[in-house]
Amino acid sequence: MKRKKILALGLAMTMAMSLAACGNTADKETKAPETQASGESETAGAQNDETASADGESTSITLWTYPIGNWGNSETVDGLIASFNEAHPEIKVSVEYLDYTNGDDQVNTAIEGGQAPDLIMEGPERLVANWGAKGYMVDLTEFFEADSASDIHESAKAACQAADGAYYEYPLCMVAHCMAINERIFEEADALQYVDTENHTWTTENFFKAVQAIYDSGHQDVTAVYCNGQGGDQGTRALINNLYSSTFTNPEHTEYTVNTPENIKALEELAAQDGVNFDASLVGGDEITLFRNGTLAMSLCWNAAQQTNSEMGEAGKTINGDNIIPMLFPSDDGKTELCGGIWGFGIFNNGDDAKIAAAKTFIDFICNDETQVVESVKASTYFPAHQDLKGIYDGTEIADVMSTFSEYFMPSMGDYYQVVPGWATARTEWWNMLQRIGTGGDAATEVETFVTNANAAVTAEQ
Amino acid sequence: MESGVKRMSAYKIIALVILVILAILFAFPLYWIVTGAFKTQASINSTTPEWFPSVWVLDNFRKLFSRQMAPLWEFAVPFSSHFSSTGEDIIFSAGPMVPAAIRWLVNTVFMAVAAMVLTCITAAMAGYALAKKRFKGRALLFSLIVCAMALPKQVILIPLLREMSSLSLYNTIWAVILPTVGWPFGVFLMKQFSEGIPGELMESARIDGAGEIKTFTNIVIPMVKPGIGALAIFTFINSWNDYFMQLIMLSSTSKLTISLGIAKLQAENSTDFGLIMAGATLAAIPIIVIFIAFQKYFTQGITMGAVKG
Amino acid sequence: MKASAGTARSRVLARRETRSAYLFLLPSLIFFVGFVIVPMVMCVITSFFDSTMGKDTVDVFIGVQNYVELWKDSIFLRSLKNTFLIVIVSVPLTCIFSLWVASVIYNLRGPVLSTFRCIFYLPVVTGSVAVTVVWKWMFNNYYGIFNYVGKGLGLLDKNINWLGDERFALWCIILILLTTSVGQPIVLYVSALGNVDPSLVEAAEVDGANNFQAFWKIKWPSIMPTTLYILVITTINSFQCFALIQLLTSGGPNHSTDTVMYYIYYTAFKMYRYGYANAMGVVLAIFIAVLSAVQFKLAKEK
Repeated sequence: MKRKKILALGLAMTMAMSLAACGNTADKETKAPETQASGESETAGAQNDETASADGESTSITLWTYPIGNWGNSETVDGLIASFNEAHPEIKVSVEYLDYTNGDDQVNTAIEGGQAPDLIMEGPERLVANWGAKGYMVDLTEFFEADSASDIHESAKAACQAADGAYYEYPLCMVAHCMAINERIFEEADALQYVDTENHTWTTENFFKAVQAIYDSGHQDVTAVYCNGQGGDQGTRALINNLYSSTFTNPEHTEYTVNTPENIKALEELAAQDGVNFDASLVGGDEITLFRNGTLAMSLCWNAAQQTNSEMGEAGKTINGDNIIPMLFPSDDGKTELCGGIWGFGIFNNGDDAKIAAAKTFIDFICNDETQVVESVKASTYFPAHQDLKGIYDGTEIADVMSTFSEYFMPSMGDYYQVVPGWATARTEWWNMLQRIGTGGDAATEVETFVTNANAAVTAEQ
Repeated sequence: MESGVKRMSAYKIIALVILVILAILFAFPLYWIVTGAFKTQASINSTTPEWFPSVWVLDNFRKLFSRQMAPLWEFAVPFSSHFSSTGEDIIFSAGPMVPAAIRWLVNTVFMAVAAMVLTCITAAMAGYALAKKRFKGRALLFSLIVCAMALPKQVILIPLLREMSSLSLYNTIWAVILPTVGWPFGVFLMKQFSEGIPGELMESARIDGAGEIKTFTNIVIPMVKPGIGALAIFTFINSWNDYFMQLIMLSSTSKLTISLGIAKLQAENSTDFGLIMAGATLAAIPIIVIFIAFQKYFTQGITMGAVKG
Repeated sequence: MKASAGTARSRVLARRETRSAYLFLLPSLIFFVGFVIVPMVMCVITSFFDSTMGKDTVDVFIGVQNYVELWKDSIFLRSLKNTFLIVIVSVPLTCIFSLWVASVIYNLRGPVLSTFRCIFYLPVVTGSVAVTVVWKWMFNNYYGIFNYVGKGLGLLDKNINWLGDERFALWCIILILLTTSVGQPIVLYVSALGNVDPSLVEAAEVDGANNFQAFWKIKWPSIMPTTLYILVITTINSFQCFALIQLLTSGGPNHSTDTVMYYIYYTAFKMYRYGYANAMGVVLAIFIAVLSAVQFKLAKEK
């Protein structure tokens, strides 16, 4: 009797367990050939284009994009995919749109859930330093060896390369992130005198004077050091690093160096300054909205795509019609280093050669096809990663704005340090640190905590 | 006596006034959602709130519906991704293309109803066995159930994710439904309920020659019907609101639920509150209409569950 | 002889009973074991490993190191404190609030009663995410309605960043949680109070008991089962408040609204520390299991 009862319970247990176990073995089986496959695809890489189209069998791949300009807009992306399908009708691409608030979590759960996308569009900090470093991405070295890559910006190329020498991203477009001011508010507070609107520059001293002037004029929310999450955090980093010309990492990208006296000074002064809100309820996207509707006088989260964005009213204007002037981050030595964005494609290795080949075909078409690449870059409203591709915005209505950006902003593009190991952890530590400083924490202590935790993540990943 | 009544009514009047104020506060978020959905961008973002929309616009809904499209329904061959040539599920029936938000509603209703039905069936059976049968392991099983009852699903987040992945259920609505059904609160509730069934009733059924199944369907089910009603409502609302499981288990646009869809809307357009409120309106209105139409049954179901619980 | 035949027969009966019991339990057990117990066991096992995300990473056995670290992790301790603060504040408050509302409305006329009941139930059926996003808007620092009304009535000098300020954020969350959890208890109390035998109350009043005494001596004991049921479901509800935190504050500012439930998610998918997250899960599960067991014990004694 006893045996039967145990049997019954055991049966129920094993049934459930075997379901799980079954799946596990299946999982392992697919994993084994996968490692082989990635080895093969490296050597066979270059011919992938032909093989995929030659065998005529249809492949469907998934592309997940972050909102990179209009690459987050389904109408635009559908158009790009339609032109891809004219050339490659055998590859079906389905797209999912991620956001910067939950996108990373979504990709991470999908990886754990065994359903990572085939193609993903973002920058090296995710593709190379995070998922690439964790071994999920396909090496794209063959793309950089091809002639078509000869004119890729050196800095972009370097950013796409991981510590192990492999390339996990093929870049499409790039931009320098900057800040912006509301001309009317500045004018009314008589603060335009502190700004060189011709060259889009200002000094640290003038920046603080301007903030004070605007605050004194009765406009209390001048700017927000947003820190609810990681969205748009390049803006807060660039502001703090540039105020007294310091750095975020060492030049070798092996260590976080935020604990310099210059950075600490910058943080202390920002925290003490009237009108600068350390706001733990905002991320970059919220801040942009508040800037656009005239609540904030400055945005730290600006770039060419924001300046030409007309979703919330006329491009280059706030909702009330005030002029938006893009600005370099203030600097004490007159040499601003802007944080760059380099966006492109990476391929997740999901163990299916056909899909990897199809994904490579897609990247090659979108980023290297002479007529297509113009449209692909235009969709992002950023600048091409191919140096020889010039004047793509000529004749469009945003031509003037884009030439301003390429003349005054792109040359100030600084070191692309976002590929330091442990980057994902460091980002999280960064906004936590800002929250602590914003709620009265001592800048020197908190920066030290940041550096300790972030560098611990570097060691953990090496 | 006289003064007692008077005093009571004085208290009653004050209490009622407070209650009316509270009721207004409770209804306000919903009012704000619905009116917000019809406001213009300018009035939404204005620092002086517009208590009542001066202009009613449909822009927010237009924007919501023009964002992404998805088929109204899709029926796939289970596990077909393993043998199809493209590695995708083989879909044998797909509905017409509709705005994705409508599909999210369909998914949510399917999820909540499936979870409700499965939970009610399994919990009614198990609750009956736990209450009315004497068997070895009963005490152990029951303590396990009690201990696991309040367990938040975040605790088993990673193992559950990996399990769903190995069962090829990740990114399907079943990955959300099955853990909800496995959650033991229903069994607990039905056990408390089944204890009220008089033993003599079952005894007499047995003497009449009714088998186990017949006893269960003819005697037990009618007796615990109110309990099932309570459980059904509880499960339906809980699974409708169970945002967490949806967040970690679902990723493609056509598989999202309405809660997840609104959360995504918010993440993508963090401060476009008009658009977000349009989504929230779409999510809230159907269930509120159902609730008001069936209010009697709702309250009956809920209360009957508790009298014994 | 006869006696042993009897026991043999009762053994057969018992065996049959056990078999049929497990057959009835089987469907439920498949789900319970498959999606609660098995993951829980896996959770316990992984909690002894240094496990992270990565294709080629191997989990390293580190014994109880994760657990040791937990007690030194000030964020975890803070989130544990917050979790219990939420439960300890919101559960009694929900009960008292809903009992009070119910006591006021339960003997009103039908339509009035159901209108009130309906309104207090609205936040429940509106859906947690829809409710959360509208509260996020109402709490907004720059154009939220709370700051506007507060300043208009002269209660506030300047805007308060409700969700971005350590002093207020957790209380805002508790407030929202309260509005979404009183609906069901009110419905329950209304009917429980309606079921109290009026003759008992009258008899007490004749004996000279005042309202409060009548309530305390007569009504309170007879609605005790309802109270216990409400305690159980409210506790469960309070532990499930993930959406509020993820969507409103992401645990911030400065981890002041972190609950263990959110911190597990954060550790897993922002810090990639699966083993550590699982250790947290195990600790939380133990706390909750003990709490549930105690609650149930208490309920049984009554």
